[in-house]
Amino acid sequence: MVPLENYLALSAILFSLGVYGVLARRNAILVLMAVELMLNAVSLNFIAFAAYLDPERITGAVFAIFVITVAAAEVGLALAIIIRLYRNRATSNVDEVATLKW
Amino acid sequence: MGAEQAWLLAAIPAGMFLVLVLFGRYLPRQGDYLGILAIGASFVLFFPVLVDFLDFFDAEEARLAIHESIAWSEVGDFHLRMGIYIDPITIVMFGVVTSVSLMVNIFSVGYMKGEPRYWWFFAVLQLFAASMLLLVMADNLLLLYISWELVGVCSFLLIGFYWEKRSATEAAKKAFITTRIGDVGLLIGIILLWRETGTFEIQEIIHQAEEGLIGGNMLFLSMLFVFLGCMGKSAQVPFHVWLPDAMEGPTPVSALIHAATMVVAGVYLTARLLPLFEHAGGMLMIITIVGLVTALLSGFIAFAQTDIKKVLAYSTVGQLGFMFVALGSGSVAVAMFHLMTHAFFKALLFLGSGSVIHATHHNQEMDKLGGLWRKMPITGTTFFIGCLALAGLPPLAGFWSKDEILLVTRDAWTVWAFVLLAFAAICTAFYTTRLFIRTFLGPVRDQQVHDHTHESGFIMTGPLIFLAVLACLGGFVIFHEVGEALGFPGGITEFVFLPPHEPHEYEIDWALAGASLVIALIGVWFGAFMYWNGSLARSTRLAEWNPGLYALITNKFYFDDMYQAVIDKGLLGFSYVVAWFDRYVVNDTGVDGSAQVTGYGGYLLKFLQTGRVPNYAMGIAVGVVGLAIAGLAVTL
Repeated sequence: MVPLENYLALSAILFSLGVYGVLARRNAILVLMAVELMLNAVSLNFIAFAAYLDPERITGAVFAIFVITVAAAEVGLALAIIIRLYRNRATSNVDEVATLKW
Repeated sequence: MGAEQAWLLAAIPAGMFLVLVLFGRYLPRQGDYLGILAIGASFVLFFPVLVDFLDFFDAEEARLAIHESIAWSEVGDFHLRMGIYIDPITIVMFGVVTSVSLMVNIFSVGYMKGEPRYWWFFAVLQLFAASMLLLVMADNLLLLYISWELVGVCSFLLIGFYWEKRSATEAAKKAFITTRIGDVGLLIGIILLWRETGTFEIQEIIHQAEEGLIGGNMLFLSMLFVFLGCMGKSAQVPFHVWLPDAMEGPTPVSALIHAATMVVAGVYLTARLLPLFEHAGGMLMIITIVGLVTALLSGFIAFAQTDIKKVLAYSTVGQLGFMFVALGSGSVAVAMFHLMTHAFFKALLFLGSGSVIHATHHNQEMDKLGGLWRKMPITGTTFFIGCLALAGLPPLAGFWSKDEILLVTRDAWTVWAFVLLAFAAICTAFYTTRLFIRTFLGPVRDQQVHDHTHESGFIMTGPLIFLAVLACLGGFVIFHEVGEALGFPGGITEFVFLPPHEPHEYEIDWALAGASLVIALIGVWFGAFMYWNGSLARSTRLAEWNPGLYALITNKFYFDDMYQAVIDKGLLGFSYVVAWFDRYVVNDTGVDGSAQVTGYGGYLLKFLQTGRVPNYAMGIAVGVVGLAIAGLAVTL
């Protein structure tokens, strides 16, 4: 059986990639994808811990399903916002959308 | 009705005050007869109280006072009671206040006829009499202080009755503020006494002081503060400045303030608390000195006044000084005796001057009057009687009481106090003579004023005649036989006394009576010598003999100027500093300053909001990492 540490390491790598993507990318769709990556890293953690610590029950799996559901809703909403943004500003670069200040 | 119901004396006018304030202006004649009715009821009810008290009173069996009280309020262990305390002092005050108030009310019907706010005048007269009656029967200092302030408010309202006139409002404010300075002292004194004894009841405090339960220094200090209140109310130097200005009020009010209500309150309180003053070492000396200085200064100032009412005002200040000298000499009876006789002849003189002012269409300058006796025989004659009483000529009331004051002063203090007081008495006789000659005798100075003058109606001369009779006969109550004939235990010195002093029968001291007569005659002769021939040549020469002294007297010893300077330089200077501090430190630095610091801080911080999402995301990431590191550091 693959040891827990491997799962955790993979999850950490995925999460860090996500953080990097959110901070470094300028395209709104890529930022959104990076956020999805972070969510999946968290889901992986849930499932790994659940399988190792309490294999009789499916608590971790339920959480993962919840996260997937919420992520799907979030993506739906975020994509809609990005489409509106593109229609209005003809850009999906988050650096150019900086009027919400002062 | 017994003496226990004496509170009705104050309650009836107080109730009538409410009626007149609420409905006075809608009543026929604006309700003046209701005012006379109420104060008249008090005057009538005084007699059953007097009879009942005389039945009860027995000096040998130590039945000296009637005391009734009810619970007022209770807070925890603190029980406050209020009630009435009737002893001979109160009885004398009852008689004076009710009779003089009644006469003033009747006189006002004629004098105030056609004035605006006629109903309001009568309403406040009721409250004035009611508060004074409450003051003299209060058994505790708190109730006394309440009525004390009510008296002050009423005098403020009445002095400022003609509030359309700026000088009247100024005089009202001056009276109120000057007495207020003393009243603060009284309040401090009352609080100090309460702290020492735990009670407001006057007799209980006196009892504790006699047992020696109050520390000597503390007693002296609290009595000093109490005496400040008495000085303010009774217009003693240096608080005397308000009384002459109070002449701005209608003349009947002056009569009331000077004779029965306002100014005698201080004398009454000092008399009431005299046992405490006796135990507060040195206070009697202070009282005597204040009285002497006041009597002398006011005597001098009155020399150079040309307004009838101002002369009378300064004579009141002086006579109050005489009363304080009597109190300082330890004699309550003599002070109350002089208070009574003075009330009668001073009310007479003020109402008489009111009659003159009314008849001459508000002319009160002696320079424009003169030769009025022929035109106004009744006013002139009664005024003459009042003047003789004030000057202290026998057998009028003022002679006996002034003679007694000289006697107790001679016995209590050195001969110098006696000489100074005698000199003040000479001054009194002098300016009284001057006042009478220049108003009623001599040539007519202003023909136009003279032609329009007429004798006042009976509603005004009636009270004058009544008071003139009292001013003639009031002095005889000093004699044992007269007192006994009236139902008293004896003369006034056998009736009015405070234990542990013993009552004593008056015996005429022929040498002193002769001296008093000579003193009065010197003053009268000098006044007649200066003014009899109707020309001012002699008095002008006297004024030019020492211009510096004359200027000092005409400027009233610069008291007003001094106070004005203190207010202008001291008070306004201090206020300027306070205003500066308020404007620049409190307002600009404190209030506006904190707002500006916050505003500028916000201006600087708002640039953190870039509006770029990655910046915020970076903030979140750095925050989370920071928290994680901090958490690790704490755990490890």
